[in-house]
Amino acid sequence: MFRRAPQPATLIDVDRPLEPLWRGVVVYRVLTLVLVIAVAAFHMGSYASPLGAGLVLGVMTIWTGVLARGYLSSHRDALAIADLVLCAAIMLTTPLIVTDAQLDASTPGMGSIWTSGAVLACAVAYRIPGGVVAAAVISGVLVVAKSRATLVELSDIQILALAGLTVGYASVVLRRAAERVRLAAAEEAATAERERLARAVHDGTLQVLSHVKRRAAELGGGAAELGTLAGEQELALRTLLTRGRTDERDGRRDLAATLRALASASVTVSAPAHPVELSAAVVTELDGVVRAALANVERHVGAGAPAWVLVEELGDAVEVCVRDDGPGIPAGRLAEAAEQGRIGVARSMRGRVADLGGSLELDTGPGRGTEWTIRIPA
Amino acid sequence: MGVTVMVVDDHPIWREGVARDLGERGLEVVATAPDAGAAVRIAPAVRPDVVLMDLNLGETSGVDAITGIVATLPQTRVLVLSASGEHADVLEALKAGATGYLVKSASVDELVDAVQRTAEGVPVFTPGLAGLVLGEYRRIAGDGPAVPALTDRETEVLRFVAKGLTAKQIGERLAVSHRTVESHVQNTLRKLQLHNRSQLVRYAIEQGLADD
Repeated sequence: MFRRAPQPATLIDVDRPLEPLWRGVVVYRVLTLVLVIAVAAFHMGSYASPLGAGLVLGVMTIWTGVLARGYLSSHRDALAIADLVLCAAIMLTTPLIVTDAQLDASTPGMGSIWTSGAVLACAVAYRIPGGVVAAAVISGVLVVAKSRATLVELSDIQILALAGLTVGYASVVLRRAAERVRLAAAEEAATAERERLARAVHDGTLQVLSHVKRRAAELGGGAAELGTLAGEQELALRTLLTRGRTDERDGRRDLAATLRALASASVTVSAPAHPVELSAAVVTELDGVVRAALANVERHVGAGAPAWVLVEELGDAVEVCVRDDGPGIPAGRLAEAAEQGRIGVARSMRGRVADLGGSLELDTGPGRGTEWTIRIPA
Repeated sequence: MGVTVMVVDDHPIWREGVARDLGERGLEVVATAPDAGAAVRIAPAVRPDVVLMDLNLGETSGVDAITGIVATLPQTRVLVLSASGEHADVLEALKAGATGYLVKSASVDELVDAVQRTAEGVPVFTPGLAGLVLGEYRRIAGDGPAVPALTDRETEVLRFVAKGLTAKQIGERLAVSHRTVESHVQNTLRKLQLHNRSQLVRYAIEQGLADD
């Protein structure tokens, strides 16, 4: 048997999927701080209050240090909001430091491009809504602080909104990808565990059960009954170990695996080796219809009467056949049941199949057994 | 002379049990093997009519053993006797050259009958196996025009088998002999095996292995 290769290392750290974005936010913050200090140094002589400018730059430098530590550890969501508030406060010092003449000449306000880092941080922490709201806050404060809304401010606002949206979206995508990887890893682990158990059981319990079944049948008498019991358990255990996943995933379910679970000493289920995936609701309904047909075989042909289920993919449709080798349903019997007000099995099956947009055919007669064919458009 | 059989299974209890069952019913068990390597080594020496093959041979694969045996002993037929549900493995075994499949929960009578039919060259098809083969033809139909397809009659026959009809019942429904039914079933297998072989050859040519 093939051993599955170990899961390849992924680019996504499942437990901390946003780590790369936070590192990016910190690097961006440091680079923009350097840029803003350089620009401010150039304008320093013309500021209304060079001392105030120096103080604000000092606060920005200290805050950048705080962020560099905080954004790379925990509690960063709350820190992003504090960041946004502090950036707004720094921008609001603009009228005290930068002159009107400077602003008219397109000199940036206090904080300048460094404050856009708060938008990125909010977008990473609170996804698209966080990014958009933070961009709106910084944009509003920008207009108030500079008490003007010229093309310069408008283009800043545009970039802020775009950055908030994009980074917010990236944050969503990364979280989603991490969740997928986490689920896949969990499933991988579950499969490996089941394979391990299957090997162990195959190597021991199943062999012994098969052996007991065979030898007991030879001994006869009371032992024969033990043999039958061992045989039933053997079949149940094999089915449990080898059938595919019968649960719902992304709204889809494997019809083949689901119907295979109905196999027993008297019921044989034939299906393709690969999964036959349909919407989960359809599979649940088909499972119910097939169970009804099999119950009908037990009632009319006898308990333990053999029955066969065939699942086929026909490209444009999926067909499920349920057949028995019984005496067949006498002509008129179904109509009679309906006339007497008894909702015949046929009618309830037909109704359920029709609800799925499919069709139900009955082929029966003496010597032919009874065969139901359910056809559901794919 | 009785039919000669080699039993390949990694479980001693099962292997010896099956060998004894077959021996008591007049079949001649000429060898047993616990894994693929031993099976391929021993088979040419004893030249059995039928190899009874488990697919799950510990760390080795029954499919590999089938490939090796069929390559050296074209007269030997392989009947897979395996746990139900290893669907993909069963299909691979058929493509590698096995001509039948029986689940391990089958009774001794069914097993003996299956071995005898295999020795006669009659494919041993359970309904489950027919379902797998039908599904496989549908699956490869999407791969392009070069893949084999079933004729309408072959599809019809396989569907009957999958629905639990015996060769005799199918013959009655189609008004043909059960031999004709069996030959239709055999054809569905042969095409899958040919397709598998042509894929191997093409792969070999692409890899430059068939140049000399």
